[in-house]
Amino acid sequence: MTSPDTAQPRAARPAPATGPRPAAGGRPRQTWRPRGTDAVQTTASLAALVLMILVFSVLDAQFRSLDNLVAVVDAAAVLAVVTVGLTFVLLLGAIDLSVEGVIGACALTVALLVANSRTGLDLGVLGVVVAVALGAAFGLASGLLSTRLRIPSFLTTLGVYAIGLGVATILFAGERPIVEDAWLSGWASSKFLGFAVASWVAAGAVLAGWLTQRYTRVGRYAYAIGGAEDIARLSGVPVARYKAAAFAVAGAFYGLGAVMATSQLGSGVVTAGSGLNFSAIAAAVIGGTLLVGGRGGVLQSMIGVFVLTVLQNGLILAGVSPYAQQAVQGVIVVAAVAAATWPVRHRLGVVK
Amino acid sequence: MTGSPPVLSVDGLTKRYPGVTALDGMSFEVRAHEVVGLIGENGAGKSTLLKSLVGLVTPDAGTIRVRGEAVRLRGVAHAGSVGIGMVFQEQSLVPNLTVAENILLGAERSAVRGGVYRWRTMTALAQEQLDKIGSTIDPRARTDTLTFAQRQMVEVAKVLTIEERIASEPVVLLDEPTSVLERDEIATLFAQIERLRKRASVVFVSHRLDEVLEVSDRVYVLRNGRVVAEVDPATVDATDLHHLLIGRESGGSHYHDEAQHDCDGAPVRLRVEKLSTGGCRDVSFDIRAGEVLGVAGVQGSGREDVCRALFGAIRASGGRVTLDDRPFRLGSPRAAVRSGVGYVPSERRTDGIVPPMSVAENLSMAHVGEVCAGPVLQARRERGLVEQWVRRLGIKTPSPQTPIGTLSGGNQQKVVLARWMIDDDLRLLILDHPTRGLDVGAKSDVYALIRDLAAAGCAVLLLSDTLEETIALSHRVVVMKDGEVVTTVETPKGAKPDPVVILEEMV
Amino acid sequence: MRKPTRHRPTVLACVVASGLLLTACADDGGSTSAAGDGTCSPDEITLIGQVRNQTNPYEAAWLTGGDTFAESVGLEQQHLTYDGDSQRQQEQIRQALAGSGMECAVLNVLPNGDSDTAPIVAAANEAGAFLVTQWNKPAELNPWDGFDRWVAHITYDGEESGYLIAKALFDRMGGSGGVIALQGILDTSAAQDRFAGLQRALSEYPGITLLDEQTAGFDRAEALNVTRTLLTAHADHVGGIWAANDDMALGALQALEAAGLENVGVVGIDAVPEAIAAIQEGRMTATVSSDGPWQGAIGLAMGYCAATGELDPASVDNDDRAFFAEQFLIDQSNVAEFAAPELDMADFDCANVFERATGPIG
Repeated sequence: MTSPDTAQPRAARPAPATGPRPAAGGRPRQTWRPRGTDAVQTTASLAALVLMILVFSVLDAQFRSLDNLVAVVDAAAVLAVVTVGLTFVLLLGAIDLSVEGVIGACALTVALLVANSRTGLDLGVLGVVVAVALGAAFGLASGLLSTRLRIPSFLTTLGVYAIGLGVATILFAGERPIVEDAWLSGWASSKFLGFAVASWVAAGAVLAGWLTQRYTRVGRYAYAIGGAEDIARLSGVPVARYKAAAFAVAGAFYGLGAVMATSQLGSGVVTAGSGLNFSAIAAAVIGGTLLVGGRGGVLQSMIGVFVLTVLQNGLILAGVSPYAQQAVQGVIVVAAVAAATWPVRHRLGVVK
Repeated sequence: MTGSPPVLSVDGLTKRYPGVTALDGMSFEVRAHEVVGLIGENGAGKSTLLKSLVGLVTPDAGTIRVRGEAVRLRGVAHAGSVGIGMVFQEQSLVPNLTVAENILLGAERSAVRGGVYRWRTMTALAQEQLDKIGSTIDPRARTDTLTFAQRQMVEVAKVLTIEERIASEPVVLLDEPTSVLERDEIATLFAQIERLRKRASVVFVSHRLDEVLEVSDRVYVLRNGRVVAEVDPATVDATDLHHLLIGRESGGSHYHDEAQHDCDGAPVRLRVEKLSTGGCRDVSFDIRAGEVLGVAGVQGSGREDVCRALFGAIRASGGRVTLDDRPFRLGSPRAAVRSGVGYVPSERRTDGIVPPMSVAENLSMAHVGEVCAGPVLQARRERGLVEQWVRRLGIKTPSPQTPIGTLSGGNQQKVVLARWMIDDDLRLLILDHPTRGLDVGAKSDVYALIRDLAAAGCAVLLLSDTLEETIALSHRVVVMKDGEVVTTVETPKGAKPDPVVILEEMV
Repeated sequence: MRKPTRHRPTVLACVVASGLLLTACADDGGSTSAAGDGTCSPDEITLIGQVRNQTNPYEAAWLTGGDTFAESVGLEQQHLTYDGDSQRQQEQIRQALAGSGMECAVLNVLPNGDSDTAPIVAAANEAGAFLVTQWNKPAELNPWDGFDRWVAHITYDGEESGYLIAKALFDRMGGSGGVIALQGILDTSAAQDRFAGLQRALSEYPGITLLDEQTAGFDRAEALNVTRTLLTAHADHVGGIWAANDDMALGALQALEAAGLENVGVVGIDAVPEAIAAIQEGRMTATVSSDGPWQGAIGLAMGYCAATGELDPASVDNDDRAFFAEQFLIDQSNVAEFAAPELDMADFDCANVFERATGPIG
């Protein structure tokens, strides 16, 4: 049985008894949510990140070196780009489990299109564009499947994950294409102002993600749909179309992430995205882009990306035994999620 | 005024749901720059009417005309395009967007070019709308930082964007706009309505008679899905309206008045002292064993809070409750069930039953202990028990294994009641609108069950849709208003008071 | 009082039924050994190769090797892949062996884990199909324990692999300096055995110090990130990276190249084509080959010989029915031979199928 309390329309929820009391005979005052919970939440996530950095800095001198800052940023690049994409899906209140499949397909695609050891092609930039477009197409497919067939995104994206992996396996055909395109390899190996080119690409992608979220219909409607889908629909927002569009935007970012991973790995690897789906969801949630939708955003998610990356880096440098690392990491991630979502826990209602 | 057709006219609008006729040939009209009041008790058809007018409900029969032209409305956006906008009672703003975005949502016009937002234009366009109603709300503010009254103003501003889409003036429907406002906020709202009528026609829906009389040019009284009277506020007072609202149906017999059991001298079963929640405060009353205590009050009176808090479904912030002179812990439905308290929620479909599960499973749900040996469900014992109750309550179901969702509302409600009646030790049953959505025959059956329960010594706390029902079933009626108990009225067998007496205390 | 009497017929029925079953099994066994005497003509034989997936070069090469052998005897190999899912592997085996005429089926299987081997062996024996397993099996389960259809189990000495590449790495470093070790998935015996080989080599080279050991889960991307982090701490002292497989070695290589560290030796295991290419280009030091194409072919060859009657599993020495196969260290000196691996079809003559056995497992 649902509690009658949660079944009430949100707006009609009575205020806590401690709220301002009207003059005698007045009605109990109704209030909306407390002011600015998003800001509180962002502060909490940032505090967790800063705390983690401080602790590791005390534990290990290597950690606070400039070299390590570069290492952390370079290591965060792919996860950052993927998380930007995933953020758009989470804003809708949907979930995307296709990340690793889409990345696999796009990684093989880009590796086969730029100069490589298997095909005679040498498309350069165009190959990258195609890979990103393929990612967008996969995202669009996820979005259309969930909106047109009314299947939860949880299931459709799992399907698209399998399709992506299948496409990647076919393209792989038993032999890894080794990237021989100097320009693409340079993303990982060349430095610009101290950081790998890939990190600058990631920074550009984050900026693009933020602009999309702030200034485009796809971005703003993602907030509206995640905030109150039924109301958005009542207002005449073509919900299905913009959901699909948000998924496509997400897919494009996965495609770019795949290109970056391929540049780093030096060849087209089917499992280039392995582990990224979980990490991206965790990063987004830690940063404050909650699974309920409509909350957080690209910049908040980036906080989570750095929490995870700093954690991995710090645990290694702090000399935590590899046998214990996974457990320690798990505990800290759970604690970080709990800390990040604490200010809004009363809003989450039933947790499934 | 007679020359041009009415801005909005509704003729013979009918909508039937299984077991209920929500609209039964409803007809009325709204003329230009007029404020029309619609009043009616719960279940009179107000909300179905409003939903039909914005295309959320498709009527079975009847026509809606806008400026003389018949329209078939396909949804809120479509209704807006022909000039009808509604300010929803449960508000329709997206909380995590800015005020400006909400005002223009779905109709951003020049604020979005090629999919790209131009925030300055958006803010300016929204400001235009806010200026129409003289609001000082910052269009860049996030909507969830505003008060309820402020958000209502944003909704009004949003509705007025209709003006830009049509050549003429819109009709603005206000659904119970005052129900959660403070006094001074209501005054502001009324001033706003006066302002609004200069550029629009207004339909004001409320159950607060004094407010309707104060603000409306004409008032339609609704009862049982039809208009029963059209009155001029200048010539009637609240008491006249009360009589119209309640009507003078023969009533009586189907309440099984004669079966009301005398409970004088019975010991006090439940004693509530100074109970407070978010929606009520310092509520005190007691119920004797075998007594039916009605709680009367309009929406927002806090009576729902009282019964939900007693069952532990919402938190109580203070108060002491004893059950048979022993302290009763609030806040846990499980503890409530264990000490013999049952609860029949008003939202039967969402809170009362699990539609895809069988009648049998729904019936034995609260007292699984009765049909289990350890953790194992004993199918045979469950079947026996279920068959016994299906017979006893006359539940019409093809078999106990039928999914309960396929039964009629009345039979579903009987299953919900039976769920609690299984318990021989049931000491208190809280009924939250037990006959909502039931047809007359099913209602009568439910009344009989309530009488039987009381006669067997169970205390009953009753919240009901209509005053008539409350008075007929109860031994006493506690009247609540604005979260507090205002009076208690004795309603013994053979000396039932006039509903108007109680209604006057309620509003 | 009635209950006990009601039980008696049930018990009787059970005894009778199990008796029948026993008889049935015995019958089955009889017919199986009859078929084992080479009753299959070559065109009756079905060849089945099963690996985890085709998404990594090693297992893809395995299947290619199987195809080459199948072609040489005029047959086709059926490919099965189970994505590292034990349940799916069992289901595939069950389906492949469903139906009659399976006495002439030959399976060359990579069991997902040790515990998956027993049911596969049981299923093959029951269907009368010839089976060769590779890499994983529980120590106490052996082909000579009454499984006349389970021709052999082939695996490699992981300790030896780890040792061989470590020695190659340390020699390149001139016997002194610091190394970083990248381990595989820590709870697998492959990771543990290989790491033990590294430790044996370390004890023989006192000039070498182990700077750090981390796991990168046999994964290339993870190895890249882990190495990147480790390099911030050890960039000045590291002379070599020992990785428990080539994928991690290649990931580490990318990290070294991104950090501009040119003169660091890198070794791995598996001899994937990219690693071989890297050795040819002088970017990587050494790897160890189990010869994937040979593995893919040899299992089918053994089964084929048994099915045609040219090989009687029962008469093969126990030391050859569960053996460590020969592995090859590939470095700059011999990389050219492995750059374009070619199967020597003579390896698969029924007389030679046990040529690469280096000794019993243990």
